[in-house]
Amino acid sequence: MNQLFTSKKNILWLVGPGVLIMLFAIVAPILLSVYYSLTDWSGFGAKTFIGLANYKEVLFQDPTFWRSLYNALLLLVVTVFIQNVLAFILAAVLNQLKEKYSLVLRTIYFVPAILTVVVITKLWTNMMNPNYGMINKLLGAVGLEAWQHSWISDPKTALGAVIFITVWHGFGWALLFYYSGLTTVPQELHEAAVVDGAGPFKRYTAVVIPYMLPVIQAVIIIDITSCLKQMEIILLSTEGGPGNTTQFVAYHLYEQAFKFSRYGYGNAISIVFVIVALTITMLAQKYLSQANEKL
Amino acid sequence: MKKLSIGQIIIFFFLILIALAQLFPLFWLFNYSLQKSSNLFGPKLLDIPVDPQWGNYAKAWINGRIAQYLTNSVIVVAASIFFILLFSFTIAYACSRMQWKLRKVVYNFVLLGMVIPIHTTLLPNFIWFSKFGLIDTHMSLIIPYTAFFLAFSVLMFTGFLHSLPFAMEESAYLDGAGLGTILLKIVAPMVKPGFVTVGIMAFLNSWNEFIMANTYLASETKRTLPFSIIRFEGEYASDYAVQFACMVIVAVIPIALYFIFSKRIIAGVTAGSVKG
Amino acid sequence: MKIGIKVLFLSMVLLLSAGLLFATGQPDGDSSSVVIKMGDNLPDRTVGLGAVAEAINEEFIAMHPEVSFEVESYQDQPYQQKIKIYATAGQLPDIMKYWSFSTLLKPLVDSKLVVPLDRAALSDLPWMPGALEGNVYGGELYGIPLTADFWVVFYNQAIFDKVGVEVPKTLEEMKAVSAKLSDAGYIPAVTDGKDGWPLSISYDNIFWRVTGDYSLMGDALAGKKPFTDPEFVEAAEIFQELFNTSGVFRNDLVTTDYGAARNLFGQEQAAMYIMGPWEMGMASDENFSESFRSNVRAARFPVLAGDEDQMDNLVAWYGGNYIVKSGSKHEDLAMEYIQLYAEKYADIMWDLQAGFPAQGIQPKADDNQLAKDLLSISASATATSGTTALDMLTPAFKESHQKLCKDLAAGIITPVQFCESLDQALQAALK
Repeated sequence: MNQLFTSKKNILWLVGPGVLIMLFAIVAPILLSVYYSLTDWSGFGAKTFIGLANYKEVLFQDPTFWRSLYNALLLLVVTVFIQNVLAFILAAVLNQLKEKYSLVLRTIYFVPAILTVVVITKLWTNMMNPNYGMINKLLGAVGLEAWQHSWISDPKTALGAVIFITVWHGFGWALLFYYSGLTTVPQELHEAAVVDGAGPFKRYTAVVIPYMLPVIQAVIIIDITSCLKQMEIILLSTEGGPGNTTQFVAYHLYEQAFKFSRYGYGNAISIVFVIVALTITMLAQKYLSQANEKL
Repeated sequence: MKKLSIGQIIIFFFLILIALAQLFPLFWLFNYSLQKSSNLFGPKLLDIPVDPQWGNYAKAWINGRIAQYLTNSVIVVAASIFFILLFSFTIAYACSRMQWKLRKVVYNFVLLGMVIPIHTTLLPNFIWFSKFGLIDTHMSLIIPYTAFFLAFSVLMFTGFLHSLPFAMEESAYLDGAGLGTILLKIVAPMVKPGFVTVGIMAFLNSWNEFIMANTYLASETKRTLPFSIIRFEGEYASDYAVQFACMVIVAVIPIALYFIFSKRIIAGVTAGSVKG
Repeated sequence: MKIGIKVLFLSMVLLLSAGLLFATGQPDGDSSSVVIKMGDNLPDRTVGLGAVAEAINEEFIAMHPEVSFEVESYQDQPYQQKIKIYATAGQLPDIMKYWSFSTLLKPLVDSKLVVPLDRAALSDLPWMPGALEGNVYGGELYGIPLTADFWVVFYNQAIFDKVGVEVPKTLEEMKAVSAKLSDAGYIPAVTDGKDGWPLSISYDNIFWRVTGDYSLMGDALAGKKPFTDPEFVEAAEIFQELFNTSGVFRNDLVTTDYGAARNLFGQEQAAMYIMGPWEMGMASDENFSESFRSNVRAARFPVLAGDEDQMDNLVAWYGGNYIVKSGSKHEDLAMEYIQLYAEKYADIMWDLQAGFPAQGIQPKADDNQLAKDLLSISASATATSGTTALDMLTPAFKESHQKLCKDLAAGIITPVQFCESLDQALQAALK
């Protein structure tokens, strides 16, 4: 037995290809990124080393970077505290329904999640178009003409509109995760709580949610990465505008590299971005597992 | 049939309202894809097509180069799924069943892939891949899609493997089976739900990706399906209805697959998130 | 169930091998065929400048039957980004349409990514004065200009007649007319506000209208005059009023992209469309109704009230050049192509009424009304601007210029902030 399961050759064959591909497509480029971030390269032609000047600029002279980070965090907050909460409540309701209704509804609720982001974004920008979009026509139909406006062009609503599209797209995933988490809550826990005289609300806060913490933790960790990397919707709708109201880090670095021809600077943003993402995830993991242990 | 209480009616009302919010935009899109472009500017919320313009779909299919792009998408997605399943299964197996010194290190390294935002490699990979002549090939997508989805998949498979008893593999070994046989004949069938779950998630993940495809692919012959829609931004921008028809076609393909396999998918994702 | 998984696996393996086949490259075909890669910003090949390019390609193929073209086209901004990306990856197409400006062509020249053309042979053609000079770097000619571009207001005569208003000559009239057009349910005016450059060019135009002296812009770009001077602020104020508060444009201006703006005008939703004569092909675009095609006209950019004598100061430049990449496998063919293009395109372009070539043209009796309008606007110009401010310096300055104009149009920044930020961008660019 030991031979087969400790053979170095076997292990290498099992682990090698996957690890190699990760080294090739994740680790190597990040190292390369560090190298380019120390230059003023435009993407082609000559480059000179400028030390940490790019990093200084990212951290101290680039309000757009901070704005884009703020927006990504705002998206995360909305995702965790609004999308996740709604998804959880809905999952709890679905969990109480008869299986045949629940299955139909779950199937429908998951539809947006399977559409590609290009369809989603084009669909919603068309829906929000002030000249022919459905949203304004709908508002007009119910007598709310005063609310009609250009949702993704108005600096006041653009970020909200973009966040809405993102949350709408991801809702099905959150719902499904919570639903499946809820199905694992043992019936005895519910019953014991009922015996203790807990109402439906108390039952969830006191018994179900603590039991579900590992699932909640996993969903939040996934949310962090997906919110931080958000850029497709931006690229296809607002391109960060109006002003910088809808800038997200991933789009900011893309724009600096390929529009402003500041490839070196874009790479510096990339590196800062990796560090920020790692830090936030670690903090979240630490905090969430502490909360987990306390209970 | 027992009567519904008022509370239940309200709950059902809300459930249906949410379902409408998820589906109505698609219906709106479909509705106007059958009109003439100018109808879109009318005052009505929905303009039921009296004279459906099915020709829009023909135009969208041809001008959007859907057949070609779809083939490309299928190639990229299928290859990515294949590599993801293969590598994540083997890594998960080595990390959860076998005894070796670097086990923890490798496992944590792989999981780190989940935390790194995919777009941080967008710029350097562009130069890096071009050094290997990978730019403008499907491999330039298959490689990063695989690399970035391994973390999640390994986590999933590890979850599935932990719930399996070791006895089967042990007895197979005693019968003289090699590692390959054990993996393929004994373990893989037992974690079949794992393959389904990871496969579906890998599908959605690679199917949805756009920005790398947009940056790394150049030739018409290589592009993936989302570009059908992008094509209409320039060339046929004046024809909203055809654009909408194109979006409907692109949307309908995964929706159709989804409804055919919905039970399996929902069950698969459910199983996966419990194990994960 | 077991069979299901096997089938799934088998089909994946099959697809995978197909994928690898595709990924390792398309077969090159038989050795006698030559594929020339081209890139341009003309996705629509049936009308306008795209049709001109197709006509030239056909002629070239008639001379060289072994040649086939692989053309990649995007809208302006995505196209410019793509070219920058290809330059980085060493994947430039053999022949590209590009712009002669220091923001675009110069970096490619500096990095030796493009080759000099045969200046002597090309100079003999009937270019408009100064048309070639913009493409000269270090004494070598790197591109041939395609169009003579200037900034005009396209309008739909039928809509103006229906509403019973005159085509505005001053910005004040434009405002008054727009109110009436709005009341009648039309969008008064559109342009591509998402990409920003039309706004930047409009700012130049307004600045000229305000000061009557465009050379001040050149002084500012050379660092001799700060952008914070009162005339720049005044122009910014008028600009902001026009695009943000006057009611001439709708408030979705900054998210309306090129296609959407053109579409709103062509679908007769909008009465005016601010753009350049490369859109001359609209009058023969079958995607639009007959009533639109016969009613589309062009007028000069409005002036300030009382400054009617400035009407003929024209913001104009040469645009859309063809260049050849260095190290192309088919450099000789590419050079021959450029020569053919330069010799033939002006007549084809005018015959198709597709745009305004950078070579002298002969008016024809059957020119459509739009062509006549544009011809008269260019003929009556008393002064021209040359390359506009956003394209005079670095790529980063250009992006900042566009962004600031968008922010100003969206009402996010004040005219004073606009001028201060522009000055900062200038200082960074001059370094």
